[in-house]
Amino acid sequence: MRLFRHDVHALTGAYAVDAIDDELEREKFERHMRRCQQCSGEVRGLSETATKLAFSASRPPPAGLRDTVLSATSRTRQLPPVVDRTGPRARAHWWTGRLPMLSYSLAMATVGAAIVLLIALIGARHDLDQARARNEALAAVLSAPDSRSVTQTISSGGRVTLVYSLRKHAMIVTTRGLPALPPGKVYQLWFIGPPTTRSAGLLPGSQAGRAGPVLSSGLARGDTIGITIEPAGGTRLPTTTPILLVVTHG
Amino acid sequence: MRPAGTGPGLPEGKDRDLDRLLALVARGDEEAFVSVYDQLAGPVYGLIRRVVRNPAQSEEVAQEVLLEVWRAASRFDASKGSAATWVMTIAHRRAVDRVRSAVAAAEREQRAAELPTGGDDVAEAVEASLEQERVRRCLDGLTDLQRESITLAYYGGYSYREVAALLGGTLGTIKTRIRDGLIRLRDCMGVSW
Repeated sequence: MRLFRHDVHALTGAYAVDAIDDELEREKFERHMRRCQQCSGEVRGLSETATKLAFSASRPPPAGLRDTVLSATSRTRQLPPVVDRTGPRARAHWWTGRLPMLSYSLAMATVGAAIVLLIALIGARHDLDQARARNEALAAVLSAPDSRSVTQTISSGGRVTLVYSLRKHAMIVTTRGLPALPPGKVYQLWFIGPPTTRSAGLLPGSQAGRAGPVLSSGLARGDTIGITIEPAGGTRLPTTTPILLVVTHG
Repeated sequence: MRPAGTGPGLPEGKDRDLDRLLALVARGDEEAFVSVYDQLAGPVYGLIRRVVRNPAQSEEVAQEVLLEVWRAASRFDASKGSAATWVMTIAHRRAVDRVRSAVAAAEREQRAAELPTGGDDVAEAVEASLEQERVRRCLDGLTDLQRESITLAYYGGYSYREVAALLGGTLGTIKTRIRDGLIRLRDCMGVSW
């Protein structure tokens, strides 16, 4: 029997349970698998085995999930089949649908953001006295021809929606369900540019789980928008790992 | 030779049924999608809950995954694996993505603190079936290190490096334990691939 490289081949199990977190190592293994029929066969069997583990963890989903998902299908366009004939090498691995999912999330996020902002905007417009100027500034960003919106789920909980316009050099931030911070801590917004990193202000305390809309000016082309947790009053430069980073485009 | 279709999960016939349903879903058949949903929502949600733990986040991830099944059904290729595995792979990947970002690492402790959920244990018990019993028996047949490695990697969403750090083994040992353990499970459960 031919010797195969044990270190690579031993990864079939880890690959089947998605336990390879190093992208390079995973790609290397996938390349190896394309040449090694024994490996791809084994991965297939072990993946089916993992599926049995999933079924044994089955539990009734929350009551509302069925309606939510089924009604979403009528609003969701499906992907066309892959008809690419450039050969197997050019095709994505069959179960890595992450990139399309990202663009889908972005599309849904845009719709969600529009609704959130619309509500925010309508709400804000009731405070005509003090808020008119601010609303106009918000509206200017919202209606800017180059405005873009991004909603991201934060892994510690909650969502952040950003709408920004590079032409107006401004962004609007709203949040929903971000965890409350201990006293003495605050969420701080950042414009992180290739030349400089600038504070874009602090998030106000949330009310009923929502904060914002906050308008921040000074956004520049090429900036990445970030949020960190900082001592009350904020800092000049970020001192903790960002909980959100969004690369701006346009 | 291993016996076919005796493992837990879906009986063999149902499995092929799912493959066929998914082909219909790819053509926009909403009724077929309802059948797929009803067969797979429980395992999808259950797996995500095991990995993510937080019920609200789990529901969000499950929603994304199930909608992705609708959206990407045309990308399912029955020659490369079963429909159930295609869906569970997406579910596991999404759950792991949710917990495995650099930022999430810092929040694992918080997650562990939120851990005791209970509540729907009763419902969970109702879901328990003979087939689950079989999986449990097969898991019991593994060595402790094999079982812990697989459980941490699959249900815990940890990478094999993290598993090695948690269990105090070398990377080589853990890789091998995960593989050997899964092979033993495969044979014990009669997976027929």
